[in-house]
Formats: sequence, structure tokens, C-alpha cells
Amino acid sequence: MYRYDEFDHALVSERIAEFTDQVRRRVDGRLTEDQFKPLRLMNGVYLQLHAYMLRVAVPYGTMNSAQLKKLGHIARVYDKGYGHFTTRTNIQYNWPALSDLPAILTELAEVEMHAIQTSGNCIRNVTTDVFAGATDEEIEDPRPWCEIIRQWSTIHPEFSFLPRKFKIAVIASETDRAAIRTHDVGLQIVRGENGETAFRVFVGGGQGRLPHIAQEIAPAVPGRELLAYLTAILRAYNLLGRRDNIHKARIKILVAALGIDAFREEVERQFETLRHEDLRIPDDELARIQAYFAPPPFETLPKHSGPFDRALLADPDFARWSRNNVRRHRAPGYASAIISLKPVGGVPGDMTADQMDVVAKLARRFSFDEVRAAYEQNLVLPHVKLDDLPEVWRTLHAHGLATANADLVTDVIACPGLDYCSLANARSIPVAQALSKRLADLDFQEKLGPIRVNMSGCINACGHHHVGHIGVLGVDRKGEEFYQITVGGSPDEQAALGEIVGKSLPAEDVAPAIERALNRYLAIRHEGERFIDTVRRTGAEPFREAIYEAA
Amino acid sequence: MRLLDPLPETDEPDGAIPGDTPLAEVEAAAVGANRLTIRFGAFRDGRGFSLASILRERGYGGELIAAGDLLPDQARHLKRSGFDAVRLNAGADPAEWRAMLAVIDTVYQPASDVAVPVWHRRAAVETLEQKAARLDARYRDADPETVLAAAHREFPGRIAQLSSFGAEAAVSLHLLAQVDPATPVLFLDTGQHFLQTLSYRDKLTARLGLTNVKIVLPDAAERAGEDPKNDMWRSDPDACCDLRKVRPLGRAAAAYDALITGRKRYQATTRERLAVFEVLDGQVRVNPLANLDADEVEARFDDHDLPAHPLADQATLRSVAGPAPARCGRARMPARAAGPAPTRWSAAFT
Amino acid sequence: MKVLTANRLSDGRVLYWGAQGLATEALAEALWLDDAEAERALASAAARPDLFVNPYLVEVNAGEPSGRDRFKEFIRSTGPTVGHSRPDIEGAA
Repeated sequence: MYRYDEFDHALVSERIAEFTDQVRRRVDGRLTEDQFKPLRLMNGVYLQLHAYMLRVAVPYGTMNSAQLKKLGHIARVYDKGYGHFTTRTNIQYNWPALSDLPAILTELAEVEMHAIQTSGNCIRNVTTDVFAGATDEEIEDPRPWCEIIRQWSTIHPEFSFLPRKFKIAVIASETDRAAIRTHDVGLQIVRGENGETAFRVFVGGGQGRLPHIAQEIAPAVPGRELLAYLTAILRAYNLLGRRDNIHKARIKILVAALGIDAFREEVERQFETLRHEDLRIPDDELARIQAYFAPPPFETLPKHSGPFDRALLADPDFARWSRNNVRRHRAPGYASAIISLKPVGGVPGDMTADQMDVVAKLARRFSFDEVRAAYEQNLVLPHVKLDDLPEVWRTLHAHGLATANADLVTDVIACPGLDYCSLANARSIPVAQALSKRLADLDFQEKLGPIRVNMSGCINACGHHHVGHIGVLGVDRKGEEFYQITVGGSPDEQAALGEIVGKSLPAEDVAPAIERALNRYLAIRHEGERFIDTVRRTGAEPFREAIYEAA
Repeated sequence: MRLLDPLPETDEPDGAIPGDTPLAEVEAAAVGANRLTIRFGAFRDGRGFSLASILRERGYGGELIAAGDLLPDQARHLKRSGFDAVRLNAGADPAEWRAMLAVIDTVYQPASDVAVPVWHRRAAVETLEQKAARLDARYRDADPETVLAAAHREFPGRIAQLSSFGAEAAVSLHLLAQVDPATPVLFLDTGQHFLQTLSYRDKLTARLGLTNVKIVLPDAAERAGEDPKNDMWRSDPDACCDLRKVRPLGRAAAAYDALITGRKRYQATTRERLAVFEVLDGQVRVNPLANLDADEVEARFDDHDLPAHPLADQATLRSVAGPAPARCGRARMPARAAGPAPTRWSAAFT
Repeated sequence: MKVLTANRLSDGRVLYWGAQGLATEALAEALWLDDAEAERALASAAARPDLFVNPYLVEVNAGEPSGRDRFKEFIRSTGPTVGHSRPDIEGAA
């Protein structure tokens, strides 16, 4: 993975020194809250319902053990002993004191982490395939390009005060595990002319109040032109995007209003007059960054592992976890393991400091010192030997981290909701917990197969409810919490927005209604048909009926 | 970037172009102009940054002034987007603006100012000797953790540790595991190690969580050609050393810009002024333990409960160059210890 | 009636305007204010930016939040209803 050199360190140190001074000015009264707010937001600091909240970037979801250990240390020393992983693959602390923030940022810098641009109307943390560098499906590892975009977009003089936030995701396979079509810009690495790296570019995706699926704007932008092309898109957006209405300020609204063809013309007009030479990544710089992401020294192993196969036979719990949470790897004898942060009745995405230490140690011993944050609010050990999986599982199991529900119905994506967030209209966590308890039976979950449930506590859609196979949106009806249900959404290469099935339900009715919809699916599915495929075949109607059936 | 005094209050239009003016109109106004003022309607409204950047890229050479609702914290954005000056508002504190402008920023991306992006600074030439001297000056009194962390920062992905897993290697390797356990560790397997050393190597690797120990072997063809009877250690120890140590390690180490050693100042008189960063044969040697004394090394064994080498109590292993390959090492060690300087590779080992 | 609430500058915790203009973390200790008192308290709190961040008024009925945002204000007064911040709740660390 990428390691800072003196320049990267210098940049982060400069920002910490600056923010430390701003905090000091705020505490001694030289800055008012109105003046301080945009400055703290540039450093990922929010003021939520009960306390300040700090969002720390995990660039493209990749961490080493020292970094995860440090995140645990910060949770323990400066917070209440836990952190919350987000759908942007970042981590949030819910209780830091303002006066501790400089110390926290200094500690983070020691392990090459920061909170720069984790909020505000700028280019946010770039996300990617959680199995980057491990999957056999990718054309190349997308992370060097993520790192290039990270560097280019950091403290960008022109794009730090955009109409609204701007999110970019990069993948390198046809299978989309990063939901690129829900992003302001989605990038898919393809082979261009002469086999060089090129980018299929999607633009104008986004969730929130007015959700849109991104449209293709360019089929194959050559790698060396990527930053020029992104600059052209951002320029067109910065000049033309709406600033009069916060709900209409994202690029999706601009693209929808102009139409993709007219927007493309705007981008191309900007692209033609850019000074391309300046924005071409020097070859040696590209090579330097790519070298960090060279595959780790995998051993040459047989495809099958005796210890793994024996453990599968010996322990049904291990077998179930392997079935549901282990994914195929490019190197024979290796696998990627998903660490579910969705225990029955738990808070989706929460992790204690001790658990972070445990996973850090596992990453170091068994996964070439690498661990990933997934946008589904889970962690992944990307490179584990099959031989080692039984021991990894035992350790995870001993620490409440071996819930065998990856991509199953209780692997719920949920925002913090009204329990923490000042924007929320309703709580998400208790509804997710009720669902997870009701559907805890793993035999039933496995029978259902892959189903994604997404919950958001308000229309900002941090829980991605629009693209959940089943989406749940909290709304406020005259001071009471109600929940609107959608079905048929999908975040992947067949991205689609869910359809609202009808009037919203009170909190206690949500889990039973979803269970009825799931039973309807079992009744009407064709042999081997996934939930989302059944919805696509039948439409929402059968599920609407089930959801509103008198309980 | 210059700071301009606030304009006197007046109802007269000041000729500034509002930041929400369409690009085409701004460009038209720029034709033939030698001064343009762009007024930001709100500090959150960043259109002015793009307008300025585009004008500069398209060749506007006149003066460019920013006015309106701006924060001192945006000074860098204005400067980098091609503004020459900012018109302060009444009541603004010029000291805050001056402070922000005095900051020298590290910048990643090219823009419309003179700042050199990191991408180009990285490629700027600094000789290895200059770099080592700079780092040694900065870190010569630092503790081992700081030295090693700096080394990883300065040579990311291009750094490896040399280790023979000898008597004191645990200290050095433990330190490495704390900083980055994925760092390559080059272990020279001459085929003549004590078995205890090999099992100690595996034990220590697992215990410390090192994930990238690379075993360096002599070239089989060379060995068959030059030492077919496997007795060169007796007949020509220097040639044996060259065949089994110098050449294989040279090949393995060529992939790195910097090599970490476990050398310490106290180990021999010739090492009294051992630098923490130095250049040897075209590569940087990092000696993070240089400043430790024997007691501190012992303390680290105790503090971290590090396993001792199974042969550690044998005098041979505690000698100057550490455990060299079993046979030739024992044969040659006394002479080495008395000699003027260790050879390049044994010097690197502990 | 109304109570005045804000977040504390140093750590962001929820505060209420209590007796003698002292800040309290407990809604039960918040002063119930009529309209005139509320405006005076708001002005006093605004003059203490070293303590009160974003002071505002909340409608209460018998000491319980009763306005449009009553549920949000209830959660502000109790803390999160679930999760790791509530060690008293089963399943939390």
C-alpha cells in the first residue's frame, strides 16, 4: 500500500498546524462558530446532537495494521472505546472534545492518516473495490489511480468550494463492488487503444432527495488524460452547478437538467482549452505510486488446502462462515475474508477499540499487514492463506467478529440516524437491530441468499436506501418516526433506484413487513433466482401486497 | 499576492465582475484589459477560483484582483488560482491575511502559480550522499524508532533490512516489526548455518509477525563451478565469502535504495562514529540502533520479552561480526575482529 | 413554556440554561421560561460564546420537549437510545 514520503508528511503537518491554530482561535473566542464552521468542516469535524464528531479518512479503504491499531487507540483514549465505519469507507468518532482534536490529528499523522476533506463541498475520499489487488476479475489494481486522484484533489485550489460535495469511485472490473453509478463521477478501468489503461467515465449519479443513476460520458479516457478530464468535469460543474438550493446543488441535477449530451459538450469545451501537459502524471511518478501496490509475495500454493478442508468438515460454524464470508482470490491457496460488523442486534459498522486491535494483529500475521474497509460497513482481510482461515476464524469468533452474514439480509447498511446525527429525521439503528434480531436465523438467511437492506435516517441517504434491494427511509410525520420502504434498488453494474411501495410504516411494523416481503419472495421465486432478480421479473407489486398485508 | 486596502464606501459601481458572471462574458471582458476584479458573492461560492484559473490558462496576462466575501484561509486558493491581489473588506484584519500568505504550502497539483507540485519536486535530483548527509544531520541523535520511521518515509517501498538472525537480531527485528512488519528482511542462507539459527529465524519471524522474510541463496551454478567440493572455506576463505555472501546479497539488495542494519556504535572501535544514515557502495545504510549501548540492547530484550538466540551464550556468536556461517565464521572470526574493518557485508550484519 | 439549549464549546455536549443562568447538562434542571424570559436568556447565552454554541429555544410541556422537533430534543436530552454509548444496554461494549 501507499506510504508517505517527506512531501506527503509535510502537507499533513502543515494542515494540522493550521487547524491547531484555528481550534485555539475558536477556544479563545477570536473565531465565532459561523467563522469556525467552514474551517472545521474542512478537517472532518461536525457538531452533532450530543458532541463533536470527527470523520477520519481511510483512503480507498486500505489500511495497514499500525493504522487500524491507531484508530483503536484513538477510540480508547479520546472517545468512548469504539468507532463507526461509514459507507464512504471512513471512520467516525462520536465523542471527541474540541480541545483534543489537534492531538488526535497529530497521532493520526504518525500513521499517515488525516481527516482532510472528509466533509465540506470538496472532493471527498475516493472509494474502490474492497477486493482490489485480491480479485481475479480486475484488469489492474485500481488503487494507484485512487492515490493519484487523492493527491491531485487534496487542497485543490480551484475545487475546494464547489456547489456541493463531490464523490468519486474507481473500479477495474465489470463487476461493480463500489457502486460507481451512484457517484458524482464513477470510473471504470478498461483497456484503451494499444492495450493502455483507460477510463470509462460515468457522471451525475447521486442519492439524496433527488436520486440519479450516473450516465456514461466517455467510453475510454486514456490514463494520462484522466486528471485533465476530471478537471474539465469539475470546472463545468463548478461554473454551472446550482448554488441557490442545497438539494439541487449536486452535479446529478446539472447533468439531468442539461442532458448528458449537452453536459458532455460543456466538458469537452473545457477539456480542449486545458493545459494538458501540466496535468499529465509524470511517468516516473506513476511508476513510483504503482510500485507501492505491487502484489505482496504470495507463496506458490496448491488450490486446495488440507487444513481448510478438514476444518470445513469438522466445524459447521466455520463451514458456514467460510461459505458466506470468504471470497475467491487471484492467488491459488489464498482467499479474502469479510469481517462482518453486523452482529445480531448490534450497531451496523460499529467496532470497539479491542476489536480493532484484534483485527490489526490478524492483518499483520495473516494478510500481509493489510486490512480493508468496505462501503458495506464491514472490514476485509484481503490476502489470507486457506491454511490460516481456521485460525483467523477462531480469533474473530472469540471477539464477536465472526458473524457469518456477509451480503445476507442482516448485513444491513445503516447510517447513524437520529441517535447521533443532527440532520436525521428518524432513527436507523434500532430499526436495523430489530430486523437483525427478527431474521437472526442463519439457515433462513442462507435460504434467502444475497439481499441487501439499506437504511437511512433522512433523505440525505447516507445509508444508500435508494439502491438497497430493500430500502428503508426514516421520515418525520408530525414528530413521530415513520419509515418508507422501497424495493428493487441495486448499487452494482445494473444500478437501479428502488420503487417506493406505499405509505410509510411506524417503526415496530418495519421488520415484520420486510419479513413478509421475504417470505413472498421465497414463495414466488424461480429456481436459483436471487431476490433482486425476482423483483426485476415481477416488479414491486407482489412485495407491496406482502408489506401491507394485515399482520 | 498583494493586499489592497478597502475601497471607500460609495454607491458608484466599482467595475468588479460578479463571480456568477458566465464564463463567456468574463472572457470577453478580459480581452484587452490590463486589470480585472472578480467579486466573490459568498466565500462558499468558489466560481471565482475557476474563472481565474481559466483566464490564466487561456493567456490572460493582466492583473487579477479578488474582492468580496472571502476568508483569510482562502488566501492559498486565491494565490494558486492566479490572483495577484485581494481587495480587503472594511474591518478585515490584514495581519490574518499576511499570516496565511506567509505560509509555504506543499502542493500536489499544478495550478496557476509558481508553486512546484510535489510530483515534480519528487523527481528533482538530490544525490544519495546529499540525502544521507541531510538525514544523518537531522536524526543522528534520535531514538531508533524515530530513525527507522524516517527511513521508511524517505525510502518508501525501496527499503529492506539485512539480518542473519544472530544474537542481537531480535532487537533490530522487533523494532522493524513495530514500524512496518511488511518490510523485506533479507536473510542470507549460505547453506552453512547452525540449525539453531534456522529454527530461531522461523521462531522470531512468527513471533514478531514479520511478513516478508526473503531467503537469499548463493547462485547454484556459481557454487557448482567455483566450489564443487564444498571446501573453499578452508582453502580460500575470501573467495568463499565472495561466492556465498557478497554476490548473492548484492543481487538481492539491488532492488532497494536503502538497507537497514543492526549495527551499533559500541560494537567496535572502528564504529565509534557510526552514522545513522550513510552511503556504502551506492546504497544508503540505515543504522537505527547506532546510538544504543550494550545495556540498552539488553533492556530491549527484557522489555519486549524477546527470545534469545539458542547459541547466544556461546562466545562465537557474541563476537564482532555476529554469527557468520557456521564453519567459515568460526574459522575466521578472530582474525576479523582484530583486523582494520569488516568487509562490506559482514559489517552490515548482526 | 420554553427551555434554552445549546452545545458546550469545549466538548459539544448538550447544555441547558439553568437557575441563575448556570449551564446544566440535565433537562430536568433547565429553567422553564416564558416568552420574555426566553428572549432575555437567549441574549445572555449569545453573550457567552465561550460556553454556548448555537443557543436556541425548545418548546416544553411539563418539562418535556413538545414542539415539532420533540423527538430529536428528547434524544438530545437522553443521549443515543442504542449502541456502544449506552453501556447499560444489553449487547453494548
